[in-house]
Amino acid sequence: MRIELQALQREIPTITGMKTHELCECLAMIGFPVDGTDTQPTAEVLEVDVTANRGDALSHRGLARDIAARLDAPLSPIPVAPNQESEALLPIQLETDACPIYSTAILKLDCASANQTPADTQAFLTAMGSNAKGLAPVDASNELLYRYGHPTHAFDADKLKGGICVRWAKAGETLLALDGVQRSLNTKDMVIADDSGPIALAGVIGGDSTKVTENTKRVLLESAFFAPQTVRASARRHGLHTDASIRFGRGTDTSFVKTARDLLADRLTSWAGAELLGAWTVGQYPSKPPGAALTKKVLHRIAGEPIQLDEAQKILLRLGCQAETFDDTLNVQPPSWRHDLSIAEDYAEEILRIRGYDRIEAALPPFEGAPEPLPRSYQQKRTLSRRLTQLGFYQTVTLGFISPEADARYSGDSQESRTLLNPLGLEYSVMRSSLLPSLWNVAEANQRHGAKDIRLFEIAPVYKSTADGPVETNILGIVWAGFIGGENPLTPIRPVMTADLIAIARDLGFTGNVNLIALAQNAFGLEIPLDQLAEPAEKVIPTFQPFSRYPVVTRDLSLLVPLELSYGELESSIKSAMTPTPLQDIRCVDVFKDTRLTAEGKQAWLVRLKFQSSERTLTGQEVESWVQIAIDAAKPHGGILRG
Amino acid sequence: MDLRSLPPEIGKAHSDFAGLLEACTDLDALLRLKGAYLGRDDSFAARMMDTLKASPKEQKKELGIVINALKNQWEEALKSRQSNLEELRRQRAAMSLIWDVTLPPPLPSRGALHPLMRLIDRLADVFRPLGYHVEEGPEAETEAHNFDGLNIPEDHPARGSADTFYFQKHTDLLLRTHTSPVQVRVLKRLAPMIEQKGGIRFLAPGRVYRKDEIDPTHSPMFHQVEGMLVGRGIGMQHLKGTLDYAMKALFGSSADIRFRPSYFPFVEPGCEVDVRCPLCSGTGCRVCKSSGWVEILGAGLVHPNVLKFAGIKSDIWSGFAFGMGVERIAMMVSQTPDLRLFFENDQRFLAAMGGMD
Repeated sequence: MRIELQALQREIPTITGMKTHELCECLAMIGFPVDGTDTQPTAEVLEVDVTANRGDALSHRGLARDIAARLDAPLSPIPVAPNQESEALLPIQLETDACPIYSTAILKLDCASANQTPADTQAFLTAMGSNAKGLAPVDASNELLYRYGHPTHAFDADKLKGGICVRWAKAGETLLALDGVQRSLNTKDMVIADDSGPIALAGVIGGDSTKVTENTKRVLLESAFFAPQTVRASARRHGLHTDASIRFGRGTDTSFVKTARDLLADRLTSWAGAELLGAWTVGQYPSKPPGAALTKKVLHRIAGEPIQLDEAQKILLRLGCQAETFDDTLNVQPPSWRHDLSIAEDYAEEILRIRGYDRIEAALPPFEGAPEPLPRSYQQKRTLSRRLTQLGFYQTVTLGFISPEADARYSGDSQESRTLLNPLGLEYSVMRSSLLPSLWNVAEANQRHGAKDIRLFEIAPVYKSTADGPVETNILGIVWAGFIGGENPLTPIRPVMTADLIAIARDLGFTGNVNLIALAQNAFGLEIPLDQLAEPAEKVIPTFQPFSRYPVVTRDLSLLVPLELSYGELESSIKSAMTPTPLQDIRCVDVFKDTRLTAEGKQAWLVRLKFQSSERTLTGQEVESWVQIAIDAAKPHGGILRG
Repeated sequence: MDLRSLPPEIGKAHSDFAGLLEACTDLDALLRLKGAYLGRDDSFAARMMDTLKASPKEQKKELGIVINALKNQWEEALKSRQSNLEELRRQRAAMSLIWDVTLPPPLPSRGALHPLMRLIDRLADVFRPLGYHVEEGPEAETEAHNFDGLNIPEDHPARGSADTFYFQKHTDLLLRTHTSPVQVRVLKRLAPMIEQKGGIRFLAPGRVYRKDEIDPTHSPMFHQVEGMLVGRGIGMQHLKGTLDYAMKALFGSSADIRFRPSYFPFVEPGCEVDVRCPLCSGTGCRVCKSSGWVEILGAGLVHPNVLKFAGIKSDIWSGFAFGMGVERIAMMVSQTPDLRLFFENDQRFLAAMGGMD
């Protein structure tokens, strides 16, 4: 909301001597931070941030009211001479409760063609960012809106066909609005209609057919109360967030209806020599909203200090509320311009706000109940992330949605339940089923920037389509691409290999099948759902396991095996054959694949067996017999002891 | 020593000896020199012996003394040189085994945590001593959790498809627009046992989505950390005390906060919290737009409707909640000029900004 300093001072003269930064500070401390200032040759404008609940503060008068309550200073009286209510000059019918009151007047204009808007009003409108039109009814209506926050409208009375009716639009009706756009209306749009049909979308925008022009001879003024929900819905439906719809949509001052009409009529008379033909009102002021009872107990709890009820009452009265104390309770009713006050807590906030939030003491809350430990799933993510950084990986954060194409690259999951209704674009339209497309994207960007060793990971949810909707699971994605080593004399450079990523998976405690994805040359990706990785143990120290204090006997077997044999197969055969022996470890410690061997379809493995008994020292003889079992177990796989 | 009785070539050899000995830099060369001077055949010593044999008898004794002296001198010099060279060889062998400590050593690899994740971790650490644990909720949420349970009106603009991402096939599902739905989930879950627990305290970090185009200050996905406490007799003073502690723990003991009234549908009273500008300490700078304060989070006392929605009696229980934008804080403290850097994941940026814990 743009606020012009002189216009604000006109409403609350006390602030005239105040420095701008003091005023900004004052506004911020009552909930209206100033986003910026705009100093113009004839005006100084503040950009004031007004929260969505405070429609009443979207005017100079509205902000002045809160400043006045804060400073306990008087507001200027509103310069208005109430008009005598006359007989209706035109039938006006209110067919819906969404418009409980409609106040109007008809004036005869004199020389409407000349620009009769006073220079200071034109300057004010310019400061508001709304250029003066030179048409007194339009400019006066706009001026009143910015000054008092109450939108009004003027119709060319001679263009009206018959009487006026405030009603719901009928299906199929249209309105050519003041912005030149033809709009189709539906039955939830409240309209002002004459015998020809809708002539305005109530509280949102006027119609083109009845608009005021230089040739207008008679105007019909409109000042009404329109239900906020109705106006908000129409404004959203038609994408019309006008000055009027924003204010009606947040709730206007129900008791200001006649005043606004009179102020408008008064301006037309004084600016343009208009003659009032009649002013009348249809309907009733809406009933007052229920009040609330604020008890001393609730107020003291919220404030954290024993604020006296009479101090609280004074603040509420300064805000325009009705407030009466009854024992330990304040019975409060909101002023007609406030639509955001309904429960006791709302009034407690008002009291604290006007006293100043800076007066709230700081205290730590009572520590009731035992704290809970960090969930293990969270600890797991933390532990994994830290370990991966120690292994040289960089944690990344990427968007959860990707393009359908990228999503399909490494996953066959249906995209049906994972597709967004209103994405930012096709490339951000599917909730991803794999982290690899995003990680590979990041890897390629790093490669373009010259990185040689690219190690990335992300821990984030991925989605799976089900009939009930997208199902989310947390997953670890890893990408390793490029080359490793070459940065010191002891570690020669070499391309990244599958073994490197398998080692990472094993390091993280993953015992399952490592499903590596080759992303490009020397570039591999891996995904592990977090539920397949061990969560941090509940016990800080595991249960004691006795360990053998007898020596380990090691034997190396050099086995000649077929080139196509899988080591895992051989190992599991040997292991199962050796079940009765105290085999403690078996591993392949070297692989020979020279051209002579491979030409014959062979390779050689150096397999190391370790034996250890938990009861005694082993004898050479028994060890040799166990080694023989291993050699025998290798035979069916085509493995023979190398000579 | 009188060498005139020996052939002139011996004299020359002797005068050359010292230079040749010096020129021997390894044991092989020394052996060759030894052979040339003292070898059994065709050496200078052998030739001297020939000369001795051929010399007249009366000169033999004197000549023998000269020859022996000469041989001894050569032998001593060769031996000494040999032990020098052997010592040098031992030293070099030893030196070759020594790692030059000024060479780059094979350091363990170093990656980095993402700065946003590190900040979230830090916040969890800050709130641990106050007994807050961590709660996490799904990113694909229901309208009930994201809006209804938080007292957000039916026709609130945030519910519109211009602000919130919805799923195509499941129009009741959306991508959560804040971490506040975790409040609703946790309150509902713990409502039946709130008496036994004596209250609720937790922190809810996570990813959230809003329909903003990607630019230097906006991203359709960002992170929030939500905090909530429910207890008996909780008021604004407790919110202030808690956040005062937390901001001092985060920004240093001189960090100062202030509350400004604000509005969020799920709290009443509501406030925005500013922290004394950590860059200029409040004297005014570009970051705080000369005000000395930077907005850091939104907070307030839990709206009774939020407690009621979850089935908690709002006349007995009350609480506070706060929510902060992780990117906003990260950008502020690091003065990172462009939000997009956090999502580009350039390893150079991550190495510089993230570090390890």
